[in-house]
Amino acid sequence: MAHLLPYPEPPEPSLPPPRSINASPKSALLVENDESLLSFLRTSLKHEGYAVRTAANSDEGLRLYGDCAPFNVVLIDYCVPPKDGVVIDHCAPLQTHGTALAIAIREINPSQGMIIAALDYRNAREVPRPPELMHIRLLIDISNFQLRSLLEKIEVDRAIEALTSSEVLRLQQSADFRVRGLGRAARGRTWEDLLQQAVLRTLIGAEDTRQGRHWNKDVDFVMHLTGAMRSISSNWKRQFKETEAYLISEFPIHDAEGQEHSPLDDVASRHTAADQCLIEKDEEDRVLTIFKDDPEATQVLQGLLDDLKKNEIMPRYALGEKQYAAAVKRIRVKLLGGRNGGGRGGKHGR
Amino acid sequence: MADKKNHDERLERLMNQLADSVVGLSDEAILAETSEVGADPKQEAERTRSVLRQASKALDNVNERLSNLGHTINSDDWWRGHWGYHNTCVTCGSFVSFTTATGEMRGEALDGLCPESDQYTIQRREASR
Repeated sequence: MAHLLPYPEPPEPSLPPPRSINASPKSALLVENDESLLSFLRTSLKHEGYAVRTAANSDEGLRLYGDCAPFNVVLIDYCVPPKDGVVIDHCAPLQTHGTALAIAIREINPSQGMIIAALDYRNAREVPRPPELMHIRLLIDISNFQLRSLLEKIEVDRAIEALTSSEVLRLQQSADFRVRGLGRAARGRTWEDLLQQAVLRTLIGAEDTRQGRHWNKDVDFVMHLTGAMRSISSNWKRQFKETEAYLISEFPIHDAEGQEHSPLDDVASRHTAADQCLIEKDEEDRVLTIFKDDPEATQVLQGLLDDLKKNEIMPRYALGEKQYAAAVKRIRVKLLGGRNGGGRGGKHGR
Repeated sequence: MADKKNHDERLERLMNQLADSVVGLSDEAILAETSEVGADPKQEAERTRSVLRQASKALDNVNERLSNLGHTINSDDWWRGHWGYHNTCVTCGSFVSFTTATGEMRGEALDGLCPESDQYTIQRREASR
């Protein structure tokens, strides 16, 4: 195809000897140089029960055809290059290497079933063919350039399925802490919303702008989603107006002793956000109270609240590497476990 | 106000640092911590994976519905608004939106066939000729 995706596909698994393909009830030859399209078409044909051979250029396609013909179907990219490494800037009307290959195959076997694929084209009028190929079926991207998005989606779906349990849990907990850090700016959103937003942003684009944050395949999928969540949560924070009305659910109803309590009852201030200040302070105190019997965790918490880094917190409180790591672990576990009574919160977990 | 901003930022910093610390955990450590929280790591992982799938599925559903009605959506033109993601049919200009939270879809594009759907059908026939 004229436009190549900027990332490599995994290497093709080793194929059986060429002749063995004819043992399959249905066989197909795919001639396509775009690895993503090739992978998509090959998978689709395999699901239909075809044994598939592939070639990345027209010369290789003709050689494979000579070695393995006949096939039930030969699918040829309209703009496939003649050889590996040859870049096709544009496809000359009527005479592309794809159409030349189709003509060559037709000369070898006039009854060979063929399809010409022009998946970067909008409609049939944009794909001129020589008269001798006009009877050959033409496959175009009918839905106006949807195929690349579909391919991206297939890759993202595969990546989701390929995530290990520990990777999924890292994403979940990271999303959870990030949403908690938003406070009121989360506006009732949960870690599930943040995770889903990260996936959608990968698939269809960013908030507010019309520029997608598509997944650069050189970046690990977990790191990509982590970065997307960081960016989305920052965006939510920026969009939040401090004067926004409160939800009744944002106010604590009971204090630590179980007494009914509303922070607004104690507020007498001209500041419009004084009530919110109280909530934030209350939350900070609540977190510190959880660790009142754990001096090391309290020290680490104080350090993190003061925006100190690990290498600043450790000497300040004379903590060793292991003590620091253990304290951070206790903080994570208690905060995650404390809020939801052991389970993970979120819309489905409540 | 300074106090409010201060508390707000301190909490955000703390939670963001905890979020970053999770990413660096080993496989064994994250599984162990999930167990310590009182959850079954395997069940939690699968539940979270289904949350991820749900976002992708919501997009599938809206695309399929629009396709069945003959609308053509440019998949790069989705944009995020106050209520979910929005787009318009490139053929008739009708509006559609959806949200992953509930999977709900809205918009005039869902009310009926694309007025230009006849043309769509002709193009499809030409394409498969």
